[in-house]
Amino acid sequence: MTEQGETGDMITILLVEDDAPTCWRLQDALAKAGYEVRSAGTLGEARAALAGGAPRVLLTDLRLPDGHGIELIREMRQRFPDTEIMVISALGDEESVISAITVGATGYLLKDAFPTDIATTVRDLVAGHSPISASIARFIVRRTQGAAQNSAEPPPGPALNTARLTPREIDILWGIAKGFSYAEIASHLGLSKQTVPGHIKNIYRKLEVHTRSEAVFEAVQQGLIKL
Amino acid sequence: MSEIAAKAPTKAPTKAAAKPARRRLLASRLVPYLLLQALIAIVTILGLRQLQPSDPEDFALSDFSAREDGLIRPVTLPHFTSSRYSLADPPFYTGAFTFPGGDAASGWSVYLPRFSNAVEVAVNGVVVLDSRRDANANRPDRNTPQIAAIPASLLREGGNEITVRLFVWGPLKGFLDTVYVGPDVALRPAYETRTLLFVTLPVVFSAWQAILAVILAIMWLMRRHEPVYGVLAAAMVLGVVQAFAPPPVPPAATSRLAAVLLASAPIESALIVVFGVLFFGWRWPRYGTLLFVPGIVVFVVGLIGGPPLPRILFLVLGIPTVGLCLVLMACITATAVLRRQDAASFTIGCAVTIVLTCWIQDMLTVLEIVSNDRIFVSRLSYSAMLVAIGAGLTWRFARALNQVDSFAGQLVTRVREAEERLKASFAREEERARAAALANERTRLMRDLHDGLGGQLVSIVALSERGHEGAMITDAARAALKDLRLVIDSMDDIGGDLMLALGSWRERTTAQLRPHDITLDWRVATPQGVPLHPELRPWHVIQIVRILDEAVTNAVKHAQARRIAVTIDTFDAGRGPYGVISVTDDGHGFAPAGNGEAARNGQTARGLRNMKSRAARCGAVLDLSSDSSGTRVRLQLPQRFPDSDMAAG
Repeated sequence: MTEQGETGDMITILLVEDDAPTCWRLQDALAKAGYEVRSAGTLGEARAALAGGAPRVLLTDLRLPDGHGIELIREMRQRFPDTEIMVISALGDEESVISAITVGATGYLLKDAFPTDIATTVRDLVAGHSPISASIARFIVRRTQGAAQNSAEPPPGPALNTARLTPREIDILWGIAKGFSYAEIASHLGLSKQTVPGHIKNIYRKLEVHTRSEAVFEAVQQGLIKL
Repeated sequence: MSEIAAKAPTKAPTKAAAKPARRRLLASRLVPYLLLQALIAIVTILGLRQLQPSDPEDFALSDFSAREDGLIRPVTLPHFTSSRYSLADPPFYTGAFTFPGGDAASGWSVYLPRFSNAVEVAVNGVVVLDSRRDANANRPDRNTPQIAAIPASLLREGGNEITVRLFVWGPLKGFLDTVYVGPDVALRPAYETRTLLFVTLPVVFSAWQAILAVILAIMWLMRRHEPVYGVLAAAMVLGVVQAFAPPPVPPAATSRLAAVLLASAPIESALIVVFGVLFFGWRWPRYGTLLFVPGIVVFVVGLIGGPPLPRILFLVLGIPTVGLCLVLMACITATAVLRRQDAASFTIGCAVTIVLTCWIQDMLTVLEIVSNDRIFVSRLSYSAMLVAIGAGLTWRFARALNQVDSFAGQLVTRVREAEERLKASFAREEERARAAALANERTRLMRDLHDGLGGQLVSIVALSERGHEGAMITDAARAALKDLRLVIDSMDDIGGDLMLALGSWRERTTAQLRPHDITLDWRVATPQGVPLHPELRPWHVIQIVRILDEAVTNAVKHAQARRIAVTIDTFDAGRGPYGVISVTDDGHGFAPAGNGEAARNGQTARGLRNMKSRAARCGAVLDLSSDSSGTRVRLQLPQRFPDSDMAAG
């Protein structure tokens, strides 16, 4: 948190993307913004790149030729807890994004985002602001509702533990899902605008399942698995 | 329960063509039944013969001299005297017996097995027995025996004199059976046997009748619509009163009580007929009430008239009524047996036959056609019949309970079956509905992809082939991506909350407008935005979002707006709330369709037509106003979204 990288020269990014044009596009946008970008096309290359040290930010695609990005994210969270992780997604669909969030990613970056938006997103991420999209917020709050209504039958889609979210955090998610800005949410809920990103960071942390055994424990707690 | 009983007769075939067959059927049922009843009657008569208690003949005294109305003549017991209505100067029998004297240690007794109506016995001039003090012994319908010990001091060795004064109150003739004098040890067993048969047994029957009366009365109280129980209870109560109320000895009589007791038998028998009719589920005929007339006449005469008259009336009116009732009852049960062929009617029928046989036997006894030492068995057999009826009722009650049980069981089974069928059909229906929904969704998806993505990809291909600059291809590709996201987004379950879809749209639109440096003002007037629409379907959402997209695209591409405002509000004109979404821009506007200038801007015109038709398809109203200061698109949502596409195809 000390490196508020306005200059960006000390911020390193590891970009894992197998589609070359997309990779170039993102790399260009980030390099222009002054970040130091290393790119990898496969899981193997990404692991090799990590041998040289931890990046500040990991941007990874999920479907890779030699494996799944989820594995990389999980490894990253264990080896380098300080690294910020984002998923690169073509559509931003909750199926892939939510599963990435549960292993430690915070948000996603659309592959076709405008270059300025790409740079802004990464800058916000490094500054400690974890962006959350309306559709992801919607998925999470729908899931909290579903869990309250019938816990007997697990809802479709990736497993997600929403049990630890506080009512305030759920209210914030509702606001985001309905398209309100942080300022609007803050005024609706009687919060200071600056505290909203912190809440969102907390939400990400609570949604993350740290280990496999913990995942099982959480699932039992929520009644997703019956022993 | 009478409903159940009433059902059976209706089952009989009613067609005229079936008549001979029916007659044959009835005959085939009647003949065995009648044969059986005849057999029962014979068995009853034989049984009564067997029942005749044997007396110790060694000590019988039969030769007496009787003084009746001043005339003295020798008689042989058993002996009938003429009927009389006065207790003064009763028939006086004098006899003699020899007392051996040797074993004076064992006491001697005088034993009278049967007499009518009362006796006073004296040995050597000293009275040893006066039966008038024993209430039961005074009843002519009970065959009460009497025994009395002869004090040893009265007995003389050798000849002794015994005198019997027989008190008779008409209309029946007086009767004195053989008198026995002998050691008490020899006489006592015969006396005990008679007491058991003719005193104790009636008491036992009456007690049982009393209990049955209480049970039946309770049943009737709980089931007022079934008077059959009440009728039987009344008959039994009458019987019990008759059995336990001690009949007065005539001179000291309160004649009213006597009247009541006399009237009880005909009324009881009439009640039994009523019971029979009701029990087998028939209507009680109006003239049937006439059956009660003799009993009531006896009763009324008994209340008003002097002592002998009611008894005479009872003999000429009451007893034939009992017989008539028994015959009626026999007919009723026979009919019931023919029609129903069930155990209850059969049991009662046999019981009635026994009672009728006993009644005929008693009549023959009274008329001295049959000599059987004047033992009356009607009362006894009537009590036995009541026992049979009680058994019949209990049987019917138990059967009704069984029916209720099996009915409940059947009901449970049927409900379970119906439930299972319902479940199966529900599952089938669900499966069908799911398949239909899936097919619909597929159709919709295809149409949506065709409308948006397909066309855009085709135009990308076309642009690339003509070697166009990247910018146009980029635009087309971005539009295709946007549409793909919209289609995917619309698949999500938003639970009827359009605001959730609008939230995503705001995010996408903001990102889309940022490179153009256009500000998106977002204003939600009410905290919850637009009302919830549980009926909201993905295709509604797609139409609405495409309308909004079109409005924004027009503002950016054709009106050169710098600022776009989206206002979301809820109104209520009294018929429920509805949402309104307005998209306003500060561009230079365009001429609405219809104006000549519109031709210049054909793309805009087509866009407007598209917007209107999309709005119409999901029941919304689109208003568009445009002038040089800007364009305003107002989309008024319906109160309820239509289930099917209103302009499909």
